[in-house]
Amino acid sequence: MSDLMKTMSRRQMLRSASCGFGYLAMSHLANAASAGLDARPARLRAKAQRVIFLNMSGGPAQLDMFDYKPQVGQKPHAGSIAKFARRGQSGVWVSDMLPNIARHADKLCVINSMTADTSIHAQSMLQLHTGDRLRPCPSMGAWVAYGLGTENQNLPGFISFNTAKPAEYAAAQLPSVFGGTPIGVNGENMSRATISNIASDHLPLGVKRRQLDLIQAMNRDHLAARNDDAQLEGVIETMELGFRMQAEAPGLLDLSGESKSTLERYHVGKSFDVGTCKPSDFGRQCLLARRFCEAGVRFIELNHGSWDQHTDHRRDLTANCASTDAPIAALLDDLDERGLLEDTLVVWGGEFGRPGLKPGEDKDQTGHQHRAFTFWLAGGGVKAGHVHGSTNEDGSVVADGGVHFRDLHATILHLLGLDHDNLAVVSGGRRIRLTGLQGGKVVNGLIA
Amino acid sequence: MSPAQRSFFETKIRPVLVKQCYECHSQGAKKLGGKLLLDAPSEMIAGGESGPALIPGKPDESLIIKAVRYEDPEMPPKQRLPEQVVNDFVEWVKMGAPDPRVEVTKASKPATPKEPLWSLKPVSNPKPPGVKHRDWPRDPIDAFVLTKLEAKSLKPAADADARTLVRRLYFDLTGLPPPAEALNAALSDSSFAIRHSSLESLVDSLLASPNFGEKWGRHWLDVARYAESNGNDGLSRNASFPHAWRYRDYVIRAFNDDTPYDRFLTEQLAGDLLPFDSSAQRDRQLIATGLLALGAKPAKAMNDNFEMDVIADQINVIGGGIMGLTVGCARCHDHKTDPISARDYYALAGIFKSTETMWGAAARQGLTAPETPLHELQVSLKVTPRTEIDPILKANPPHRPPAKPAFKYADDAPLAMGAREGKTIADCKLNIDGDAKKLGPAVPRGFISACGAIDPAMLPDVKQSGRLQLARWLTSPQHPLTARVMVNRVWQHLFGEGLVTTPNDFGTYGERPSNPELLDHLAARFMREGWSMKRLIRSIVLSSTYQLSSRSGDLQSPEAVENRLSLFGQHRVRRLDAEELRDTMLAATGELDPQPAAGSVIQRRDVLINELPPLHQPSTHRSVYLLMLRNSMPPELTPFNLPDATTVTDKRDTSALATQSLYLLNNAFVIEQSKRFAMKLAVISDPAQRIRTAYHRALGRDPSDSELRRVQDFLREADLTFVSSQNAGAKHQSDAWAALCQALLASNELRYVD
Repeated sequence: MSDLMKTMSRRQMLRSASCGFGYLAMSHLANAASAGLDARPARLRAKAQRVIFLNMSGGPAQLDMFDYKPQVGQKPHAGSIAKFARRGQSGVWVSDMLPNIARHADKLCVINSMTADTSIHAQSMLQLHTGDRLRPCPSMGAWVAYGLGTENQNLPGFISFNTAKPAEYAAAQLPSVFGGTPIGVNGENMSRATISNIASDHLPLGVKRRQLDLIQAMNRDHLAARNDDAQLEGVIETMELGFRMQAEAPGLLDLSGESKSTLERYHVGKSFDVGTCKPSDFGRQCLLARRFCEAGVRFIELNHGSWDQHTDHRRDLTANCASTDAPIAALLDDLDERGLLEDTLVVWGGEFGRPGLKPGEDKDQTGHQHRAFTFWLAGGGVKAGHVHGSTNEDGSVVADGGVHFRDLHATILHLLGLDHDNLAVVSGGRRIRLTGLQGGKVVNGLIA
Repeated sequence: MSPAQRSFFETKIRPVLVKQCYECHSQGAKKLGGKLLLDAPSEMIAGGESGPALIPGKPDESLIIKAVRYEDPEMPPKQRLPEQVVNDFVEWVKMGAPDPRVEVTKASKPATPKEPLWSLKPVSNPKPPGVKHRDWPRDPIDAFVLTKLEAKSLKPAADADARTLVRRLYFDLTGLPPPAEALNAALSDSSFAIRHSSLESLVDSLLASPNFGEKWGRHWLDVARYAESNGNDGLSRNASFPHAWRYRDYVIRAFNDDTPYDRFLTEQLAGDLLPFDSSAQRDRQLIATGLLALGAKPAKAMNDNFEMDVIADQINVIGGGIMGLTVGCARCHDHKTDPISARDYYALAGIFKSTETMWGAAARQGLTAPETPLHELQVSLKVTPRTEIDPILKANPPHRPPAKPAFKYADDAPLAMGAREGKTIADCKLNIDGDAKKLGPAVPRGFISACGAIDPAMLPDVKQSGRLQLARWLTSPQHPLTARVMVNRVWQHLFGEGLVTTPNDFGTYGERPSNPELLDHLAARFMREGWSMKRLIRSIVLSSTYQLSSRSGDLQSPEAVENRLSLFGQHRVRRLDAEELRDTMLAATGELDPQPAAGSVIQRRDVLINELPPLHQPSTHRSVYLLMLRNSMPPELTPFNLPDATTVTDKRDTSALATQSLYLLNNAFVIEQSKRFAMKLAVISDPAQRIRTAYHRALGRDPSDSELRRVQDFLREADLTFVSSQNAGAKHQSDAWAALCQALLASNELRYVD
């Protein structure tokens, strides 16, 4: 790649390379030498083409959803309070809290043996997103967009819905073009959430076109007098891209063409505002995820929270489950039906989990637990109807098959055909990659 | 050692050590934990960062026993050992810790670099070098630049023309475009650039303008991670900082007053400890300490590290912001490559642990941060809450009623965030792996030892936190970093790139200076000239180097251009930053209110920003006065790579994004400005003259004939489209002239400075 860059002038590249974000990625890499970026890593064989990450913030109570811990022995111990059943052909345990996701048990690859480094929300959330809990680093979605570009030249490669913190979708040391484009911030009414400034009707479309032509003519004159300055050339390109985005994105965000039954299946517009469970219109997020996924966006992150059920565990857990269960199931249904699940990796989980409650105790409070919790994956080349790893009898520590965030990161990248060891940039003398200084291990046991 | 003892060790102790401890505590460890080796008997006794791990015969005093008992620290970290194994260890220590293992040589401690770090060597005062083109240098700066160019057989680019130079000076010194008169004056004087005296008087007037402090104050606010709310604490709560704006005003004024940089730093670190002549001065110095309180804090709830997180933020500002060293890395371990030990870190941490940081109510949500008092000011402006956000607040009452205030102040009492001496003055214990629950020995309060010998008389006594001493140490002329880091920042703001391109990192991992002699010349001169920011900036902008053109001219090969740029033999084209762009649009349309804005939209409002719709109000004041809320920055600025104000900004990102194009094409503010722009032009009846005036206001020049024709064509075609669209029943708020004005405001020529 870098040799190619050397022999092609930027201008030649502009003419020959396909446009859009993939092109932008290349143009940034063309400047890589001065920015200190490593060359792009070689591609492995990819099983997944894109990712939908269902970020469950606050620490979901895995023992009442996936990691079944009934009472064993004489002494009461912490464990599951929800009712569980084996589901589907595979017999994967899913609790009654999630009746709709339970229908999809045979598609899930449940990891009950996740571990993280800390039970501090902000730090662990950052580690889940960027691999580093203390310093700003590129987000998973940014790495994926950086590694693969986007399939749709009119859309960004990484979109994050109902976001909480910019650091969680940041490009950080990567060129900003790979950072997440936010649609709606936490707490905002998602039915109005959109990409900032995506549309305006202050001018008729015909005038907008002519206006763009005028701006670009002025910009090209300005550029010509400056020896085709690379920076200014890039700006002209992004002006075109912005204009094209106007044409594509609003239609994707507009759900008026979806049938009533679809909106109902996804629970669009239904939100719970109970205790820690905040309205997130998760149904709308899931339906939009399907639409953006179909349109070729590489990495789509959805957010729901908070699962941080410190005071009213039962009440808030019930609300959080009810808020997300049907929408996620509808998304899995649609992805499956459209053949997208095959190469779309769905990832569900939060920054850590929670310890269990002791049955019989009237305590209804749970804290944080980072030494054992649950993620599940579906589609995108992972084993279906499979449970990986296990925990001890009260679910407080991993007994077998521990998967650290960095291992999960390595595996996700691997499924996308990216080598986590080499997907790296050098910044400030530090080599930065998603799996951090220590590096992660691809968990082959998860891969079909 | 009896065979029974040997067997006890081999069966009960060694396997556990190997399986549970060696991963982090042996020669083979990928990353040695706490500098402690457990694979040799003597090493266990010698211990690591937390002291001896083992005292044979005394289990209760042995750290290893405390650790496996999960008292402090908790080891192994992943999972507690079974009780029986713990008992075996106690038994083993009781019997004197018999250990048959063969001694191994100690793992190498972090390597002392062969060559001391360049940036820690004392600042030298190099003589300006001799150069071939002796008539080119106007200032010693130029000789330092030219000698590097000549070494590569390069010549400086041509001088910038007068128009370019005047525009560059206005933006660089005030952040605003030149008024038409200033440009005309420059253009009428064909030899402006050569007539040094007229240039000098222009520079002096710009430095004296209050706009200077607004521009350069903003640069410092980037270092100070300034914001008016805490930002998401990790639990989605974002408490307002309703008094932070006073610090903003303090900074702007300090730059306008040309407060010497050493004094400026001292006020921010220890203003509460400085003597004062008047109540106004006392107030100002208290407000200055706001630097220490403005940081983004993680929630206190479920976070045993909260206090140390606040301190880490303060140390990061001092490390990255003032010293250009990644001191923060030493929170968890000795710095891997720079000579900063964890002991140094905790020596600094002790200073801030002995300091009371005063952030105020934090919206009185104790889970975010416990409420603290604030500085009570004496003669500063009293402020009451502003009414324009009343409707928003009424419509959105707090989800959870705020706690009763712990500290009560009069409704209009002038208050400020800041710092003062803590109730307890004490050294800080080393936090192993940066974990406040795993404590090592206390480290006496002090500074970074590698920055030169520390005179014991400079250290704080038992009654002082040490902030004043820290400020004196940082601003001592012997300190190798403080002046270098600041002159480099100034250089970066004026040339688009620093002499060191990693302005927050002068360490091993940072870049080396491209012109070390020039860096030292500037640093020495800066200190010699009383740490005056204005004198420093004045010298630089009056140099021949600053006045070079950004055009590559006859230089064809990209490598040669790149070389010349990197050695500052050619100026860099620079994009206006977010604030400059908004201010320039307002100036072009004549809407800019040149007066400083008073206070803030959220003054005296203790609220959770995350529970409210956006609070930003329309304003025509300069952007520096807009409401800067973390996670909710002004929508007119956010598209243009605004920093998130959580860490010290080294350099504003200038990458081009599609979202910026969307802003220019569709944002309500841009559309509104375009309409107003067009309305102002409407008084001119001759269309050609109207176009000329539009060009002058936006770009400060006449359109060429072909440009004029192009615009006329555009207007004609746009009009036709409007008519057909209106015939079809559509209504649009803009017209063809407004569309033209928007195109001018969106053009690269307006947004980039040569």
